[in-house]
Amino acid sequence: MTTPVNTPATTPAYGVGIGWRPEIAGVVAGLPGLRFAEVVAESVHPHAPLPDALAALVDRGVAVVPHGVRLNLGGAEPVEAARVTAFAAVAERLRAPLASEHIAFVRAGGVEAGHLLPLPRTREAVAAVAANVRRVQDELAVPLALEPIAALFDWPDDELTEAEFVTAILDATGARLLLDVANVYANARNRGADPLAVLAALPLDRVAYVHVAGGAEHDGVYHDTHTDAVPAEVLALVTELCARHRPPALMLERDGHYPPEADLRAELDAIAAAAGYPAVT
Amino acid sequence: MTGPLADRQAALVAALTAGAPVPPGFDARLVEVARTALLRKRAGEVARQWPLLAAAHGPRWPATFAAWAAARPTNGSVRDGWDLARAQAASGVLPRLAAEELAAREATFRYDGTGAVRRRRAPALARAAGAVAVQVGGRVRLLRRPA
Repeated sequence: MTTPVNTPATTPAYGVGIGWRPEIAGVVAGLPGLRFAEVVAESVHPHAPLPDALAALVDRGVAVVPHGVRLNLGGAEPVEAARVTAFAAVAERLRAPLASEHIAFVRAGGVEAGHLLPLPRTREAVAAVAANVRRVQDELAVPLALEPIAALFDWPDDELTEAEFVTAILDATGARLLLDVANVYANARNRGADPLAVLAALPLDRVAYVHVAGGAEHDGVYHDTHTDAVPAEVLALVTELCARHRPPALMLERDGHYPPEADLRAELDAIAAAAGYPAVT
Repeated sequence: MTGPLADRQAALVAALTAGAPVPPGFDARLVEVARTALLRKRAGEVARQWPLLAAAHGPRWPATFAAWAAARPTNGSVRDGWDLARAQAASGVLPRLAAEELAAREATFRYDGTGAVRRRRAPALARAAGAVAVQVGGRVRLLRRPA
């Protein structure tokens, strides 16, 4: 077991952040207290100039974390070298303090799924993910944080609970945890579990930062859409989490159906209030 | 279901994107919910890249896209929208607004239907479902609108 990289005393508390997207660049630029943002890693060219709005954020000292969605860390095959190189280059370009990806697979047999898909929670899958995470860590100059996903279904042969599965991967790699409280909420609700019990079982001392997002129910199942408002239940989970172990950063993820600026700012304020961090608006 | 992880992952992706049967042992209802959600998400992503194509179909866009995409794994939202627009143009059902968007795209970029989309360096004239667009130096003008 590798010693995990826990939050060192020098890690600054960033407070409330937001996922930077071109569609809301103006809103993000207008947040005076912002110190933390995230950008989809694959949307940033590793060598071409950064979009002006993103460059301006980096220049004003906002920590901008690349968030990979296409590396396929959970794929049974080794992660593609070119993707790893690009990912590491983007982290460097952004002068990011860390980078993140998912505990998931996104393609198999040369076919793109178009979404993050769950892995069987088995020892075999732990080994596959850990091997890929190490390949990324070998090239990446900063710590890597891993995000457990919202899954609409499970594999039939799970051997481990989600907390055991995640902890085994973190133990094997020393990676940190990107905790998505909306995913915790979605999974617990859809599996009929208690989200607080799920939270309590996770290694909260290894949380690098937290995602907060909205969702909606379709076909009797809660979907983590990132295109709906953050439900009160997710904000309540933020409060519970922060009462136990307040992470250095919590950020809003919104990926479409963008609301008016005032609504977006209100969501950021609600996260700040739930976490006990100052408003960034 | 047993077998190496790679094969099992491929079987699951095939069920979600290409109409293959749900692998044994999975909750077929939940996999179907995921498959539907995936198509809804793809429809939204294609709408962002092809706003007039989506707008021209109005409230029928998600269903129209899903019917076309159900057995077609994604090649990325730019290419997916392009392929759908061309298919609709070929069968004479591409709406007028979408024809203009397609013609403008065809005049600006080169896309052979199987590989990467590349920006044209030279001036170009393109037709799509009755719309005609001309591109010079990266600027596009519609010469003719579809009837």
